[in-house]
Amino acid sequence: MTRVRVEGIVKRFGDTPAVDGVTLDVEPGQLFTLVGPSGCGKTTLLRIIAGLLEQDAGTVRFNEDRMDDVPPYLRNIGVVFQNYAIFPHLTVGENIAYGLKARRLPADRIAAKVAQVATLVQLEGLVERMPAQLSGGQQQRVVLARALTIEPRLLLMDEPLSNLDAKLRIQIRSLIRTLQRELRITTIYVTHDQEEALAISDTIAAMDHGRVLQVGKPWELYLRPENRFVADFIGTMNVLTGRVEAPGQEREESVVLTDFGERWRVRAAGARGQPISLGVRPEALQLAPGGNAAEAWNSLQGTVTEVVYLGAVVRYQVRVTENVDVTAEIHNPDFSAIHAVGDRLTLWVAASRAIGLPGETGRA
Amino acid sequence: MAERRRDFWWSITVLAFLAVLAFLVYPLATVLVTSFTGEGNRFVLADNYHRFFTHRYYYSSIINSLYLSGLATLGAVLVGTSLAFAVVRYPLPGKTFLRTAANLALLSPPFIGAYSWVVLFGRMGLVNRLLGTFGWSLPTIYGWRGILLVFVVQYFPFVFLLVSAALRSVDQSIEDAALSLGSPPRRAVRTAILPVIAPSLTAGALLVFMATMADFGTPMIIGEGLRTLPTLMYGEFINELGGNPAMASTLGSLLILVNTTALMAQRYYAFRKAYNVVCIQPLKVRRISAANRAVLSVFAYGVVGVALIPSTTIIISAFMPTRGPVMYAGFSLQSYQSIFHLVPRAIANTFMLTALAVLLDVLLGVLVAYLLARRRSHAHALLDVLIMLAYAIPGTVVGVGLIVVYNRPPILLTGTWIILLVSYFIRHLPYPVRSCTAMLQQIDVRVEEASVSLGVPPFRTFLKVTIPLMFPAILSGAALSWMTTIGELSSSILLYSGPWATMSVAIFTEVFSNHFGTASALASILIAAAFVPLFLTYRVLGERSALGM
Repeated sequence: MTRVRVEGIVKRFGDTPAVDGVTLDVEPGQLFTLVGPSGCGKTTLLRIIAGLLEQDAGTVRFNEDRMDDVPPYLRNIGVVFQNYAIFPHLTVGENIAYGLKARRLPADRIAAKVAQVATLVQLEGLVERMPAQLSGGQQQRVVLARALTIEPRLLLMDEPLSNLDAKLRIQIRSLIRTLQRELRITTIYVTHDQEEALAISDTIAAMDHGRVLQVGKPWELYLRPENRFVADFIGTMNVLTGRVEAPGQEREESVVLTDFGERWRVRAAGARGQPISLGVRPEALQLAPGGNAAEAWNSLQGTVTEVVYLGAVVRYQVRVTENVDVTAEIHNPDFSAIHAVGDRLTLWVAASRAIGLPGETGRA
Repeated sequence: MAERRRDFWWSITVLAFLAVLAFLVYPLATVLVTSFTGEGNRFVLADNYHRFFTHRYYYSSIINSLYLSGLATLGAVLVGTSLAFAVVRYPLPGKTFLRTAANLALLSPPFIGAYSWVVLFGRMGLVNRLLGTFGWSLPTIYGWRGILLVFVVQYFPFVFLLVSAALRSVDQSIEDAALSLGSPPRRAVRTAILPVIAPSLTAGALLVFMATMADFGTPMIIGEGLRTLPTLMYGEFINELGGNPAMASTLGSLLILVNTTALMAQRYYAFRKAYNVVCIQPLKVRRISAANRAVLSVFAYGVVGVALIPSTTIIISAFMPTRGPVMYAGFSLQSYQSIFHLVPRAIANTFMLTALAVLLDVLLGVLVAYLLARRRSHAHALLDVLIMLAYAIPGTVVGVGLIVVYNRPPILLTGTWIILLVSYFIRHLPYPVRSCTAMLQQIDVRVEEASVSLGVPPFRTFLKVTIPLMFPAILSGAALSWMTTIGELSSSILLYSGPWATMSVAIFTEVFSNHFGTASALASILIAAAFVPLFLTYRVLGERSALGM
C-alpha cells in the first residue's frame, strides 16, 4: 500500500494561484477526499499527483519515492475521469486490457485478468460491446475496471459520479467503496458534493482558493468545523453573532452575549468583548411553542416564517429579529411538533453543539 | 518536462514553419517586393501601381474581377441559402438526392464547368446548332454573362452545404421563442434564425468570393478576352514579347490584398458573431400547401438540375463522335482512344502528383493539427495564420512566386515535377489541417490522458488513441485535398513544363486547340477521379461528416 505525501505544492495559471501551498499526508489504504467548490484547486492538485500537470513548487512522494520527475506513464496510477474518458474506438474488453497491453503481458494473462476485473465491477458478458452501446453507469464501471486492472499503487478519481443520475450515483459510490476496501488501494477522490464526501471518505480535506482549510474524519468536519468556510460548505449551518462576555479556559465553555440579547455558553475561546460567530446545525436546535425561554441558556425566540414538511423531517424558518433568521429541523416529528407560519417558538441548543467560529480563516 | 523542449513535436513545428516559409511566405514576399521594382531591379516606389491605375487596360481587370466576384457571391448566396431553407425546412420529396446532387456539383473544377457550357451553348455548341436548324439563336454565352453563370452554378453548393449544416444545428426553441414573443414567421426567420446562421452564411460567401477572385480557367475559356486579375496576371507573366514580372507581381499583390482583406473581414465578423448554440431539438419541417410545395420542388430540382448539367454534358460528350469543336449524335470511343494515344503521360502525372501531394498534406496536416489543437503557443498561432493564408492566395500568385524564387541555382525547381508538387502540397495543406483541428477540439483531452496514465507514453498514445479517433477527419481532409488538387489549373498552367503537363493543362490546351472530344474525355476521367474518393468517404463516414469543413 502506498502512502502519499504532498508538500508545499504551488501551481499558478498566469498570475492566479490554482494551488497555493498545499501539504497533505494520505495514509496507506485510505480513501482520501478533496472537497471544495469549483475552482478551489482540487482537480489541479489531483492532476499534479497524477503527473498530468507539472507543479511550480513542492514535492509529491509515494512512500519514500519522489515522483516529481517521473512522467505520468511510469507512475503506475489508475485515473478515473469525470466524463469517463473511455476509448470509444475500443471494445469494453480492449478498454480494460489497454494498460496491460502497454505493459506487454502475455495474451493469456491479459485475458484472465480482464475477465477477473470485469466480474469485479459486474460487467461480465459485456466485454465484446462497444462503449457507445453502454449506459452511463456501465461506462463508468469500464473506466473503473480499466484503472484497476493495472494494479495501480494509487487510484485517483475526479468527480467520478457527476455524470450519473441520483440512483446510479449511490450504486456506483458503494461499488467504489467496496472495491477500494477489498483491494486496499490508497485512493484520492475529488468531489464538489459534500454529501458524497461525507458518505465515502476515510478522511476529507476541505479546499478553497487553492488552500486546504481543514483535514479530518467526516464527522470532525461536520461537528467541529474549524472555520466559517468549512462550516458553510459542509452541511447547513446557522451562523449567529455576538461578543464574548466571560472567556473560558482553552476548550472550556465561554459565555457569549448574542446580538439578539441572549446569553449562550459555547465551545469557544476569545478575549472579553471580542466579536464572535456561533455555528448551530439546524438539527441541533430543539423547539417548543411559546415565547418564553424554557431554558435560561442557549435559547432564542422567534416567529415561524416558513414550514417545509417532508414526512421524516419538518423544517422551519424562524425569524428572531429583523436581520437574524435561523433554520431548525425536527426529525421524526409527531403532531405536537407541527407548527404553523406565524407561531411564536422558543428554540435552544446544547452547549456542545454550539460552535465558536473564528472569523479570520473563513470568508466574510 | 520543461527541459525536453527539442522533442519530436518541436521538429514538426520547425518542419512546418520551414515548409510554409519556403513555399508560401518567401514566394509571396518576393511577389510583393517585385511589384515595387522597375527595370534593372531598381526599387521604384509606386511606378507599377501608378501605371496600373492610370491605364484602362490594367485597371479594368480589377473592376471586372470585383464586379464579377461580387455578383457571383450574391447570386451563390441567394441560390444556396434559398435551397438550404427549402430542403431543411419544407417537406420536399427526395431530399437525400437533392443534397447528394448539390455535393456532386462540386466535383468538376470550374474551368471544366465553363467548358461544358461552351459545349452546350457556344458558337458550335450542341444546343445552338439544334436551334439553328429552326433558324433560332440564343444570346451569346461568352463574356461576363457566361462567367457569372459558371460561377453561380459552380459555387452555390458551398453556401448550400454550410447553411444547411448551420440550419440543422438551430434549435426549434429559438424560433418558437421568437413566435411566442409576437414575431410573425417571416420576422422570426429574419430576427431569430438568420443571425444564428450568419457566421456560416458569411463563411460560405467568403469561400465563393475568394474562389471566384482566384479563378483563372473560367474567364480564359468563356470570357473571350474579358480581363480579370488572374488572367491578366498570367498574360503579363507569360508574354510572347517577353514577360513583365513586375506588372504580373503588381497584379498578384492586388489579388493578395483583396483576398486576405476579405478573409480577415469575415474572420473578424464571425468571431464576434459566433454563438454557442445548443441544439436539442432541430428545426421542425414546416407544413405547407400542395401548391407551395410544388413551387418549392420545382425550384429545388431546377437548381440542382442546372448544377448537374456540366458533369452530365462532359460525360455524354466524351462518348460522342467529334470533329474539332463540333460534336455529332451517336456513340464513339474515338475520344478515349485518342487521349490514351496522345496524352497518357499527363494522366499518369496527374495521379502521381496528386497522390503524393495528398499524402504529404495528410501526414503534415495531421501532425500540425495536433500541435494547433493540443499545444497552443504563440508560434503555433502564427503557423495557423500562415497555413490559412494558403487558402486565400490564388494559385496564379503562388505559381508566379514559386517560379520567381526557384528559377535559379542554388535551388532550381522550375522545369521539374517537384515545383508542381510543392504548389499542390502547400495550397491544399489547409484542408486536412482544418478538418483535423476541428475534430481534435471535439475529442476530450482526458481520453489521451487516460491512456498516458495507463502506462502508454505520449507519442504512442498519439498513434494508438488520437489517430484512430481522428480517422473520420483525416479521411474527409484527404478527400477534399484530393478533389481540389486533381483538377488544379491556375498554378499548373504556369509551373508545368514539357513532359510534366497534367490533365488539367491538357484539357485546357485541347479546348484552345478546338479538340473538344479529347477535352471531354479527359475531363470525364478527372470528374470520375474526383468522385471515387468522395464516394468512398461517404460510404465510410455517412453523409453528414463527409464534407466536414
